[in-house]
Amino acid sequence: MKLELSVLKITDVKFAHKTDIRDGVLFLNGEELKELLEEDGRLRNVEVEIARPGEKHRIIRVIDVIEPRSKIEKGGPNFPGAIDVQGVVGYGRTCVLQGVGVVVTEFADMVDSDEFRKAVDIVDMWGPVGDLTPYSKLNNIVILADPADGVSIEEYRVALKIAGLKAAVYLARAAEGFPPDEVMVYELSLDREIGKKLPELPGVAYIFQILSTQFNPLDGDPVLYGENVERIVPTILHPNEIFDGAVTAPYGSIFMETYFIQNNPILGQLYRNHGKNLRLLGVIIMNAPNNVDECERAANMAANLAKHVLHADAAILTKAGGGAPEWVMMRTAQRCEQIGIRTALAFLHMGMDVTEPTLKPTSLFYAPEVDAMVSMGTPVGSLKLPRAEKFIGRFKAIGAVNEGVEWPIRRIRGSLSQLGNSRLRALRY
Amino acid sequence: MELRRLRVVHYLNQFFARIGGEEKANVEPRVIEGPTGPGRAIQNALGERGEVIATIVCGDNYFSENVENAVDEIIPLVYRYQPDVMIAGPAFLGGRYGVACGAICKAVKERLNIPAVTGMHAENPGVNLFHRDVYIIQTGPSAATMNEAVSKMVQLVVKIAEGEKIVGPAHDGYIPRGIVVNEMTGQTGAERVFEMLLAKIQERSYESEVLQPKHDRVVPAAPVRLIEQAMVALVTDGGLVPKGNPDGIESVGATRFGEYSLQEEVALKEEAFDVCHAGYDSTFVKQDPNRLVPVDVMRILEREKRIGKLYNKFFSTTGVGTTVEDARKIGRAIASELRAEGMSGVILTST
Repeated sequence: MKLELSVLKITDVKFAHKTDIRDGVLFLNGEELKELLEEDGRLRNVEVEIARPGEKHRIIRVIDVIEPRSKIEKGGPNFPGAIDVQGVVGYGRTCVLQGVGVVVTEFADMVDSDEFRKAVDIVDMWGPVGDLTPYSKLNNIVILADPADGVSIEEYRVALKIAGLKAAVYLARAAEGFPPDEVMVYELSLDREIGKKLPELPGVAYIFQILSTQFNPLDGDPVLYGENVERIVPTILHPNEIFDGAVTAPYGSIFMETYFIQNNPILGQLYRNHGKNLRLLGVIIMNAPNNVDECERAANMAANLAKHVLHADAAILTKAGGGAPEWVMMRTAQRCEQIGIRTALAFLHMGMDVTEPTLKPTSLFYAPEVDAMVSMGTPVGSLKLPRAEKFIGRFKAIGAVNEGVEWPIRRIRGSLSQLGNSRLRALRY
Repeated sequence: MELRRLRVVHYLNQFFARIGGEEKANVEPRVIEGPTGPGRAIQNALGERGEVIATIVCGDNYFSENVENAVDEIIPLVYRYQPDVMIAGPAFLGGRYGVACGAICKAVKERLNIPAVTGMHAENPGVNLFHRDVYIIQTGPSAATMNEAVSKMVQLVVKIAEGEKIVGPAHDGYIPRGIVVNEMTGQTGAERVFEMLLAKIQERSYESEVLQPKHDRVVPAAPVRLIEQAMVALVTDGGLVPKGNPDGIESVGATRFGEYSLQEEVALKEEAFDVCHAGYDSTFVKQDPNRLVPVDVMRILEREKRIGKLYNKFFSTTGVGTTVEDARKIGRAIASELRAEGMSGVILTST
């Protein structure tokens, strides 16, 4: 499976009469995009806004960020199962607009500031909030929309996500026919050949939790080829499928957006080292179930797939969601270790025993076999919001995001990452 | 400009003040002008930066047998000297001494607003009691490490007094205070986890960035003998609260619990309750609170005489991101009340 990403580097975005790219600038016909998104009868009152790095814009209630990508081949499926019919992704050529983000926002009708703070993620394009999120560095196309009459909140949320995916494909199509600034080739033979070529290198699998069922997943939320994966058991994917639209971030996912699934840093790291000091064998995707029986099943199946199907010597694990998925990840790692797969975990900590007078943070779980863990920070702390010149979003509790409000860091989209893109590490002081 | 010399008051137990050993452990608080014992090492480390103007001495038993009184007696002695900083110990592994050092530093800091530093071995019981409130320099187990301990204590106290930035426990030598912070590192999480895995595969040394908690071992209570006569209570960490959350139980990181009357209820009524737990989808509980706190079923069992009685209150907190310390505190408080009420059994529902 060979995937070529034709990357166009975009340095600015402007509204124009025609959607086009010139000299690294993306010109956007906002009306055309709005009409495209309003074809979905579940949405009305669609608006498209632009937020550039450095602008004093605050984007309100960000639910996903997506990198514009589209298949270059005619009929090549984009986000199959979600916006296109089923089809195979992970091979062929895909156009990428690097430096652009499609930011999907949801309206926020809560009036109470506390309720608002508990449910709303923001992105600032400048200042201290912007410093904490990689999304402030992108030229963002922000999508706003209301639910059409009679549409349930769940349907509205699914429709918003799909609107974001459609916008991402629409934008990337503007790059058709342009010579790429860079071509990134991802090729990984998973057959026996590679074992012959690289016999001494240890085989590594990536065990990737894509969904937590702590909160009820949305019906119809496209997560894996259009499926909401609420009841999925562990299965194997080729890494290229992940880069190429097979998986998108579930609605309400914590610290995981589609953007960093498309650009999964763990897979990037493993790919770069494939053939040098390891063999990347594949990705085992799973969800984090909310009950013991399904947890045990998922942990056992994932470990068995790694050991007896992929023949892995080692695995990296990441989690989705909060505390309970940390336990599922631990159990999976423990099962791996018990059958001879060496593991390393990277995660952010949801809870912590502050009575421990040790220097390092602690996990929620206790499993002596699991002995290699990387801290990716913890969702604690807050900062004072600076004055924004413009708010992008639909919301009522205006006072809740004004200058001077103490804003929790966990409610800044992109501030923390489940997938390894942040440089944060938690320590005790 | 010449820096003003810092005025330092030092606290010692009877042993380090050379008053005597265990036989003198009951001596009352007293003051010695100037430095004595380890105070001389402090004076050396301070050099021209400051002066140990007084040493306060108290017997370990006198202190540990009347902690509050002893603190009340010692604070005015400290105040009299108007120090800029307080140093206590170091106590090394001395348990009673460590607790005294921690308690005095905490009181001096809180009541007199004077910065205070002490020193202990990581296993001193004073560490668990006071590391959150007080800077405790990590020392070796015994006075053999006195000079090193004193030098770090003095460096830190001078830093605090002069308003310099405290860099962190590893750098400044103090025992982490349980405050969790995020720090920016040079590498992404992906890079670090990859390198850790590679080191592990290649059998090179690596250091896990996360430790595992030490869990308590809890011995289960004996089974309920006569369940038909037993009084049974309902306890939940699923965050069921009366509408309006009257006790203000936190939705994340709970520090308290509530107890709510079940005098009349045949079953919990949906309109009277809410869920304040931020870690699960509570839609189904809000529709019918008995799904979380099964009063309806318990009343049937009561009627059928399959249990003796349902206790007339239920207890509720939220178990999400709750620190072990708070969970322990909440658990103890609930358990002691249940025990006082003669409870035979508890059904704990979690989410």
